[in-house]
Amino acid sequence: MTRTDPTRQSSPEQKKNTLSAEEQKKQSEFQQEAVVHLNALYNYALHLTMNPDDANDLVQETYLKAYKFFSSFERGTNCKAWLFKILKNNYINRFRKNSREPGKVDYDLIKDFYHTIKDTRRDSSETETDYFHTLLHEEVYTALQSLPEEFREVIQLCDIEGFTYEEIANMVESPIGTVRSRLYRGRKLLREQLEGYAKKFGFNTETGR
Amino acid sequence: MNCKTARVLMSAAVDGELTGKEEEGLRLHLSQCSDCRMEYEEAKKTKMIVKEKIVRFKAPQSLVDSIMDLSFTSEKEEQNTLVSE
Ligand SMILES: [Zn+2]
Repeated sequence: MTRTDPTRQSSPEQKKNTLSAEEQKKQSEFQQEAVVHLNALYNYALHLTMNPDDANDLVQETYLKAYKFFSSFERGTNCKAWLFKILKNNYINRFRKNSREPGKVDYDLIKDFYHTIKDTRRDSSETETDYFHTLLHEEVYTALQSLPEEFREVIQLCDIEGFTYEEIANMVESPIGTVRSRLYRGRKLLREQLEGYAKKFGFNTETGR
Repeated sequence: MNCKTARVLMSAAVDGELTGKEEEGLRLHLSQCSDCRMEYEEAKKTKMIVKEKIVRFKAPQSLVDSIMDLSFTSEKEEQNTLVSE
């Protein structure tokens, strides 16, 4: 893959925005540090917006901003966490005003969303654990989405994205202790939901089988 | 440590986010309490279920392309195409 079109080379003094060596360095660094997290960001955006088009816009906006302010990214820290924070802020600014009321969950919307997107763009890397084997992806998804946002968010960031408490605290702008207790309470709620599903299949959740 | 405290700590324990002291206390309690041991296994499973059962979507190719473009924006203004394959 080449970045320059040999037929249309521009000389450095030709345009103010022609690439300097510094700019080139920034670009390749940006590719290595930031662009590799595209899928994770897209999934996060999907969870937040529940709408593929909005998720698209949100991710684009995030990368645009990230590139612009890439010099303020502290080298050596977690770039993924930095990007998530930017995306979250963008989301709050753009979408939250029109989002659903807290505590009110539209299950049909969630299901519809899940079905539209499930078959078309599913990541193939997927493993099965023996336990809760019969739990459907959709059920876990619905259970998670049905949690109050403050709980859902930290579970997502911790369990799915693998961020540390410190990184999450920074993202949600709350103390680490708050993150910790939200995770505790959120998981408790989540488990109640999941056990409800599991019982439906005759699982005894006390023993695992 | 009593069972109640142990159960609160389990959540952070599965994330590896306990302090050394907390971890020590929890471990001691688990070694003495089979109910909590079972509960701890459940806690680990719950985390795993979320991790493994939530379907990850691939970003659409059009989005990937536009992000790749983005980091070459300044260059692109002078050029029609970014990539030759
Ligand atoms: Zn106990």
